[in-house]
Amino acid sequence: MTASQPTRRHLLAAGAAVGASALLPRQAPAQGGAKKFQGVTLNVSTFSAAYPKLLQQWLPEFEAATGARVNYDAPSFPVYNQRADLELSTRGAAYDVVNVTFIYSSRWINSGWLTPLDDYIRNPNLTAADFDIDDFLAGARAPETGRDGKLYGVPWTAEALLTASSRFDLVQQAGLQFPDTTDDLVKVLRAVNKKERVAGFVADNHYGWTFVPYLHAFGGDVFRKAPDDLFPTLDTPEAVAAADYYANLLKEFGPDGAITYQPDQVTQALKQGRVNFTDSGQLHLAQLGDPATSKTVKTVKFGLVPKGPAGRFPGTAVHGLGIPAGSKNKEAAWAFIQWALSKQTTRRAVAAGYGSPARRSDIDSRVFRDKQVINGSDLAQLALDSIESASRTGHMKYRTVAVYPQVDQQLNKAIALIASGQANAKQAMQQAQAQSIAELKRAGLSL
Amino acid sequence: MASLIAAPAGGWQAERRRAFAFGLAPALAVLLVITLLPAAALLVGSLTPLSLTDPAGTFRFDDPLVNYRHLLGDERFLGSIGTQLQLSVASVALQLGVGLGLALLLDGRSAVLRATRTVFLIPMVLPPIVVALIWKIIYTPDVSPVHRALEAAGWPVRSLIANPDTALWAIAFADTWQWFPFTLLMVLAALQTLPADPVEAASLDGANRWQLFRYIVFPHIRPVLVVCGLFRLIDSFKAFPLIYVLTDGGPGNVTEVTNYYGFIQAFNFSYWGYGSAIAMVILAGVFLLSWGIGKLGWNTHEHPDR
Repeated sequence: MTASQPTRRHLLAAGAAVGASALLPRQAPAQGGAKKFQGVTLNVSTFSAAYPKLLQQWLPEFEAATGARVNYDAPSFPVYNQRADLELSTRGAAYDVVNVTFIYSSRWINSGWLTPLDDYIRNPNLTAADFDIDDFLAGARAPETGRDGKLYGVPWTAEALLTASSRFDLVQQAGLQFPDTTDDLVKVLRAVNKKERVAGFVADNHYGWTFVPYLHAFGGDVFRKAPDDLFPTLDTPEAVAAADYYANLLKEFGPDGAITYQPDQVTQALKQGRVNFTDSGQLHLAQLGDPATSKTVKTVKFGLVPKGPAGRFPGTAVHGLGIPAGSKNKEAAWAFIQWALSKQTTRRAVAAGYGSPARRSDIDSRVFRDKQVINGSDLAQLALDSIESASRTGHMKYRTVAVYPQVDQQLNKAIALIASGQANAKQAMQQAQAQSIAELKRAGLSL
Repeated sequence: MASLIAAPAGGWQAERRRAFAFGLAPALAVLLVITLLPAAALLVGSLTPLSLTDPAGTFRFDDPLVNYRHLLGDERFLGSIGTQLQLSVASVALQLGVGLGLALLLDGRSAVLRATRTVFLIPMVLPPIVVALIWKIIYTPDVSPVHRALEAAGWPVRSLIANPDTALWAIAFADTWQWFPFTLLMVLAALQTLPADPVEAASLDGANRWQLFRYIVFPHIRPVLVVCGLFRLIDSFKAFPLIYVLTDGGPGNVTEVTNYYGFIQAFNFSYWGYGSAIAMVILAGVFLLSWGIGKLGWNTHEHPDR
């Protein structure tokens, strides 16, 4: 009985909605056609982050201008990805605008689950003249582009993985500099670990993201040569050395339960000054500069990820907004993306403190550069350097291959296995290698 | 003569059976549609290399047992079965023990006991994800009131969910917290129906409290305990929210149960064929286990006084 009531109510509501939507298109022209998308309901989903939160605040303006109603949904990163991955794979019409997540970009784009945007961008009736797609960093557009050369997402963030020290004062007290190399980092951590009850190092337990700059720095890689040769290379001596090094940072200098830390926990721990060092995305790190919530705003310092024997390889990530292939409101969806990433909106976001825009005009603006200097560190410059270095070396190509999510998970497991003392680096990485090969074969790759 | 009487009687009974069958048909049809058809789809899916990223290769039956063959060589899968059994046995045993103990303590007619019983039911009615979040807070040393209290008292405890030796127990403990009220409720109900006479007679004969429990109370509630155990055992194979929120199957693989591994294959990697094969194995396992427990003869004790 109780179960049947909501069902009936839903049915009635759905019926009413169908009825209403049948009526509305005929009413719209009667209102003078000013509101192009009167009666359209757009379902927009991204993961929760600074930019989507700003958009959410400004939504009423888009709705007022276009007449469309927007259902806006922004769950946490892993939840969003799982939901969107499933929904896109069924070619469903549940979403009209989605975030094209970096590690899923190739998989979603090249499986044909998204709509190419080129025709919308080229059409002057659908796209304002000042939208200027070329203003978005070329390095940010590249991962949103399919094998067919078409653009499938408009980037809203191009962020870099940076190193941060929330209590740099402790490092200075020990008479040391900001660590530039992997050896320096260990030296610094030995000196400051547990000083004033501050643990030395922690990282988001998504090690397939936070560990990889170290894997590269030691001369290792994820695949032999992504995207052409996808044979995993997780058990090379370099990879084993890198895993050993990184897991040891967590084991020796991590807070209690270090391997359970998720990104928000890491940010909180640094804001509260419970942990000193991390390597984390710039979007998260920018929050350390917020005087209202961060206790470490006066002592924080940022730098590039450390250089290893093979060089410096900062991680970068790009997220964009795209339209699912199954969407029934593509024109309205494009109008939304155009509004969300217009020069006006992105400029306004930067003025409101947004930390990782993808438009060159924003990145070069005075307003942005001034805001990005947190306690003397220029986050924007560090990020630009990272993104430029990534487009020079191409070391981030591993990340956008369709099978990366499978290998990503093996890396998460391997580092946790070593850090929790269940396996040594060699065993853990050999296991990750064997299981990655099995997963890739299951995906139909001939290795 | 006899046949003359028997024929209409049989006809009447057959008629009745037909009427029953006719009345049951809609319910059976619904049951068929909502349970058997998805199960059949699962079975069919498990015989294909169905992967959502490769729609072209979706329904191929050229090598129907490929997924099952892979399973036999998949160490992570085989390991997950052991983890599953450990978690199931530990959490069901704890739930039965705690539920039974508390039920015996709370069996009575005072208003205080009634209020206490209600309080104990709260964990069971909370949404599983909320339970998981509560335990995430308790198990995170940074924010946990328990960890802080222990540290203040001079017994600092390291994170339980980051330690491979304790992570599975931490999950079993949280699961027990959520589900012992089920056993509590069932056993309390059984205790309410316990006839007063044999208890009184036994105590007049000089039986002590333990003997009363062992020979009168326990045989009375044993069938209920078996049902509770079976229910919880079957349900324990579906363990998900606690693992998802607390450990994500880690550290390493120590809390990765079969159900969770199936989820990862199907929903993180999109190998639906392989995920379906894992689900079929779980289904078969649960079926065999339930059948085995039924065969043990536990539930022939409906009339212990006979």
